[in-house]
Amino acid sequence: MYRDEIPPGTLHLLILKTLARRGELHGYEIARTIQQNSEDVLQVEEGSLYPALQRMLVKGWVNAHWGATPENRRARYYRLTVAGRKQLEIELSQFRRVVGAITRVIQTA
Amino acid sequence: MKLLGGLIRRLRMLFRRKQFDRDMDEEMRAHIEMRERELRESGAPTEQAYTDARKHFGNALALREASHESWGWSWLEHLTQDLRFAFRMLRKSPGFTAVAILTLALGIGANTAIFSIINAIFLRPLPYPKASQIYLVARTGNAFGGESISPAIFSAWRQRQEKIFAHLTLVQGLGESTTLMVSGEAENVLSMTISTDFLAMVGIHPILGRDFVTEEGRVGGPNVVMLSDSLWRERFGADPHIVGRNLTLNSRSYTVVGVLPPGFTDPTFSPTRAQLWFPAQVPATSSDPSNGGRLCFGALKPGVSVAEAEAALTPALSDLRREFPKMFRPNERAHLIPLREMLNQWAGTTMLLIFGAVGLVLLIACVNVANLTLARSATRQREIAVRTVIGASRGRIVRQLLTESILLAVLGGVLGIAACYASFQFVVTLVPANLPHVGAFGIDARVLLFAFALSIATGIAFGLVPALGASRVDLSGSLKESGAQAGARAIGGLRRFLAASEIAISLVLLIGAALALESLARLTMVKPGFDTQNVLTFAVSLPSQKYDTAAKRTAFFDQAISRVSAIPGVEQAAIIDTLPLREGSDILFSIEGGTAVAPAGQPLDAEIRIVSPDYFRALRIPLISGREFTAADNASGAPVVVINQTMARMFWPGKDPIGQQIWIGKPMGPAQSEPAPRRVIGIVGDVRESTLEDMPGQGMFIPYTQTKWNDSASFLLRTRAAAALSLPEIRSALHDVDPGEPLTQVESMEQVVSGSLNDWRFHAILLGIFGALAVVIAAVGVYGVISYSVAQRTHEIGIRLALGAQRRDVLRLVLSQGASLALAGIVVGMLAAIGLTRLMASLLYGVAPTDPVTFIAVAILLLIVALIACYLPARRAMRVDPMVALRYE
Repeated sequence: MYRDEIPPGTLHLLILKTLARRGELHGYEIARTIQQNSEDVLQVEEGSLYPALQRMLVKGWVNAHWGATPENRRARYYRLTVAGRKQLEIELSQFRRVVGAITRVIQTA
Repeated sequence: MKLLGGLIRRLRMLFRRKQFDRDMDEEMRAHIEMRERELRESGAPTEQAYTDARKHFGNALALREASHESWGWSWLEHLTQDLRFAFRMLRKSPGFTAVAILTLALGIGANTAIFSIINAIFLRPLPYPKASQIYLVARTGNAFGGESISPAIFSAWRQRQEKIFAHLTLVQGLGESTTLMVSGEAENVLSMTISTDFLAMVGIHPILGRDFVTEEGRVGGPNVVMLSDSLWRERFGADPHIVGRNLTLNSRSYTVVGVLPPGFTDPTFSPTRAQLWFPAQVPATSSDPSNGGRLCFGALKPGVSVAEAEAALTPALSDLRREFPKMFRPNERAHLIPLREMLNQWAGTTMLLIFGAVGLVLLIACVNVANLTLARSATRQREIAVRTVIGASRGRIVRQLLTESILLAVLGGVLGIAACYASFQFVVTLVPANLPHVGAFGIDARVLLFAFALSIATGIAFGLVPALGASRVDLSGSLKESGAQAGARAIGGLRRFLAASEIAISLVLLIGAALALESLARLTMVKPGFDTQNVLTFAVSLPSQKYDTAAKRTAFFDQAISRVSAIPGVEQAAIIDTLPLREGSDILFSIEGGTAVAPAGQPLDAEIRIVSPDYFRALRIPLISGREFTAADNASGAPVVVINQTMARMFWPGKDPIGQQIWIGKPMGPAQSEPAPRRVIGIVGDVRESTLEDMPGQGMFIPYTQTKWNDSASFLLRTRAAAALSLPEIRSALHDVDPGEPLTQVESMEQVVSGSLNDWRFHAILLGIFGALAVVIAAVGVYGVISYSVAQRTHEIGIRLALGAQRRDVLRLVLSQGASLALAGIVVGMLAAIGLTRLMASLLYGVAPTDPVTFIAVAILLLIVALIACYLPARRAMRVDPMVALRYE
């Protein structure tokens, strides 16, 4: 099965959107959700999720706390903050602008 | 707010780093295990699931590193790593570390000590809140020193200041001595007189009581005084009710109106602090043209430029010239100097020159440590090669090596500052007592900051070149070769160059020191024109209120001289108004009837000193012709004067001046003139009157019984050899004449002479110390280079010996290597010294800045030092055993 790498710079957007839709998730759940929602086309290199999450923690876009999974394993759960929600909007509109521009270029070419 | 929140999160992460790492590990492990389980559940074999989960995840270690970097602390983590490693490396080579730290401590310590003096003179903010608005108001084109301002000038200026100056103030009586009576004990205290609005001008308020008011500045105003904080604390126990108390000063009663804040300084920044402050009682108009010891300070009104102020005051000088044509030159102009600039000018450039010299010492220290570091980096090539191979970037290695050198420099700096603290009292005693400065000399925050910045800069200065050189390693070579052969040859050339530079710089410093010491030696050999042995001096100054007539003052000194003459062991007792080698006063006079070189009425000037008859005998100043003063030359006798040889030669060339008449003060107009001319009765030998280095000028002497300027005097007691005078005996002799007059400044004449050389001694000693330091450091440098080269050439020397070379040949081989290095340094140093010693021309006496004898002698000395430094490794080379050397490797 062939999978596409996610375009650079969109990992934050994907994580933010995922957390916005699903609420509280741990790292593995975030990776799997992105994969499933993209119908397995998009492949996050799973580990790269973690440095990205740390950067978002520094920025204050997400919160983290330790909890237990349904299987009773310890896992770190992430949740969007108010600042994170604002950031999601910024990144979304940025993304739409870029995609719209690219689309126009492709169609007129 | 957002930034702050981020910072707090980051700091929290920093302090819980271990926990952070554990959390990251656990989180990632959980992820991998969940993936693994899912893979297994979807039917993958156990082993396949295990490897796939890990492959999908990526390099967990690298990801953890990346997560760390997200928090922006990686620089700190690298720094602590580097520091820890640097400490380990320094501990591993204690010899290198000790030499490097000591060298740097010497350099940084010496620089810090000198900087603390520079700081107090040039950098510390002036102690007045409004200092930036204040100017010294002086005049240019004047013969008498344009800074002192006569009452006539001041009152003329004050009439023109209205629209120009917010304040125009007079400061006078710099360091004048006042007799303070507290509970029956007389004590001499320094006092100063300031205009009543001086404190308002500079922005200082008394800590107790009030400022002077305008009425107190009128002539005949009330007798009031302000106390310095230290006098208030020491003599009056910080009495809170001091304001309003009456003090007996110079036998008159003064009311205390206030106490000045601690550390209040007069605007001359003189190191001796006045303790009593009187309001200047300035007459509205004055025609007194005498200039002694008065300075004028002003603050401009807003919007007035310096040029406007100068233009407004200059006409007053032209007007005064019409009134006193002899006292003013045609082109005198008013001149405003900012207070800070005035201080810089007065302090002079000597300290900056010394700062430059001590900077060179640090430069040598840097070069030396760079040299040692290079030698060590050669032996570390393998280590660096290994680190490069396992993935360290060049930048990372340079940073590691720089961390080591900065660590060394900071350790050296700490030791240097400690040494500076320990020796600071000694350094301060070297500083000339008259050097103006702000506040006390001391190691304050600015000095510490300087030392710290200097340490860091030093570390980079000596570390950068070796670090860049060492990081460029030939990998295969270094890893293959056994030990340190690879880059060592290229580095060897650089090291010889550095050692030669050390020789060159230390030659410059040593020549500077030698010139300064030679000047000092020549000055101590100057014959002052009098005999300094067995002469004791002390000063007495009479308060003008109690001794208000010349006759009363004469009577006091007559009696005092006869009392102290009677003390057993005293051969002669005499007085003089100002001791030789202390700045005396100049006076204008004219020659009655004129001479070939000085027509009648022409104003002439000469130095004047007021003496008692035995003065010349007490100091063994020879009488050339005529006679000395006698007791008969008193107020009722004919006015007489004794002149020195230079004056005789200058004004009566080829003639005998005895019997000629001169009129003192006549050119200054009737108010300043003496009532009658004086007859020249004798010619005495020349004496170095103001300083040892200046040739004697024209000078004259008049008896203290024939002048009104006889309110203070220094006594000179010549004693029989080995007769030690007891101070209490002298004191009781004076006490018999007047119990209220204390004696001060007790010194032997030898101390007076030696004290006049304090400035010279100061820079000669400092330059000497720096020169010696430089030579020691340079010798260590040469020793290091040569012994390293011997160690490297052991193999070659072994072959030479095996082939039949004599031990003597080996010695010559090593010594010639050292000599060529030293000679190269000496040639360059000589050229640099020829250019640089010119800067210190003002610090030299009797020796040219490019004195060939000094240059050659210092060069030979340095060559000998270099050869001795080479001899130790050379001896080791001679003892090489060919068999051992050849088997080595």
